[in-house]
Amino acid sequence: MDVDISGARVLFTLPIDLPILGELAVSETIVVSWLVLLILTGLCLWLTHDLKVEKISKRQAVAEMLVELANNFVVGNMGEKFRYFVPFVAALFATGVCSNLISLFGLRSPTADLDTELAWAVIVFILITRQKIKTSGLGGYLLDFTKPIPILAPFNVLSEIATPIGMSFRHFGNILSGVVINTLLYGALALASSKLLGLIPGVVGAVLSQIPILDVGIPAILSFYFDWLSGLLQPLIFSMLTVMFIANAAEE
Amino acid sequence: MQVQELVGFVPWTFIAQICNLLIQVYIFKRFLFKPVNAMLEKRRAMADAEIQDAVKAKDDAKAMKAEYEQNMQQAKEKANEIMSTAQKTAAVQSEEMIREATQQAATIKTKAEKDIALEKAKAVNEIKDEIGSMAMEIAGKAIGRELREEDHEQLINEFIANVGEKS
Repeated sequence: MDVDISGARVLFTLPIDLPILGELAVSETIVVSWLVLLILTGLCLWLTHDLKVEKISKRQAVAEMLVELANNFVVGNMGEKFRYFVPFVAALFATGVCSNLISLFGLRSPTADLDTELAWAVIVFILITRQKIKTSGLGGYLLDFTKPIPILAPFNVLSEIATPIGMSFRHFGNILSGVVINTLLYGALALASSKLLGLIPGVVGAVLSQIPILDVGIPAILSFYFDWLSGLLQPLIFSMLTVMFIANAAEE
Repeated sequence: MQVQELVGFVPWTFIAQICNLLIQVYIFKRFLFKPVNAMLEKRRAMADAEIQDAVKAKDDAKAMKAEYEQNMQQAKEKANEIMSTAQKTAAVQSEEMIREATQQAATIKTKAEKDIALEKAKAVNEIKDEIGSMAMEIAGKAIGRELREEDHEQLINEFIANVGEKS
């Protein structure tokens, strides 16, 4: 019995080959990300069509609740002047949740690919840095690395770079561990049921041992933690850290 | 099928994911937050307007109430004034009437008294005359001859006067 845990499959490659980037390979990650994008866009359009001021529908109430939630989350943590960050944080969170939970439909989560989290973290890092330069000027930003003493500058640079790396690996690790453990569990349970039912003598045992009966139900318990809990919690942590880091960068 | 590294860095995927997130941000901004926020703002404005209207209506009602109360007060005062005036007038009138009546009664009484006195005097005079002539007749008869009135007037009058004094 083979248990294969690998990265995203490459669905097709385009004949574009750039020196540093390499061949343009469209992987599962990219295609499922597009799917997530389409789902969220459709959801947006469905939630916000036919908005009314009075006598609102349940659908509109949900849309309003989500918008208010995002507004309160960002404005409550960052202050009124960062209201323009609301769509960014909301997109980060929604894409994260949707990407994580899409694994429930048997697709490979885009978040099980480090590139995804790294891309998000780099955008967040750029925003943090931009905010820092905005707050204390380019000179002040560079000078901050020599505090409290100049000899610590390399470590300060390191800790600065550690921010996006830490953020991305935290999220990625949680999702990937879910993928790995789920795959292992499915394999192990299939093997166990095959051996268990193989004990039945004759043709009946030979047929039944082909059916991984133990795979039904039991993985759902672990899936609750790895898919649902992690899937909801990690995007929340990611968004929270984004908000905190940018708000901190705006201080002093 | 070609498979990528489990933990690796693929530049194209990385770029694609950056683009995806930015597109997602734009879509959220354009199709979720913009319409919903605009609608919320509209509702807030409407609610504010409604509250302002309510406050205005309340103020109006208060003003109307004050005016009404003032009017009521004025009306009451006026009614009181009218009542007291009427009472005063009535008192004055009744006093006047009583006085007039008293006066009239007094006039009537004095006139009646005067009449009575006149009548009495007349009666007395008549009786005097009667008595005089009767006395003459009696005296004539007693003396046996006729007394002439003219001759004895003096005597008679004295007699009558004496009678009058005694009666």
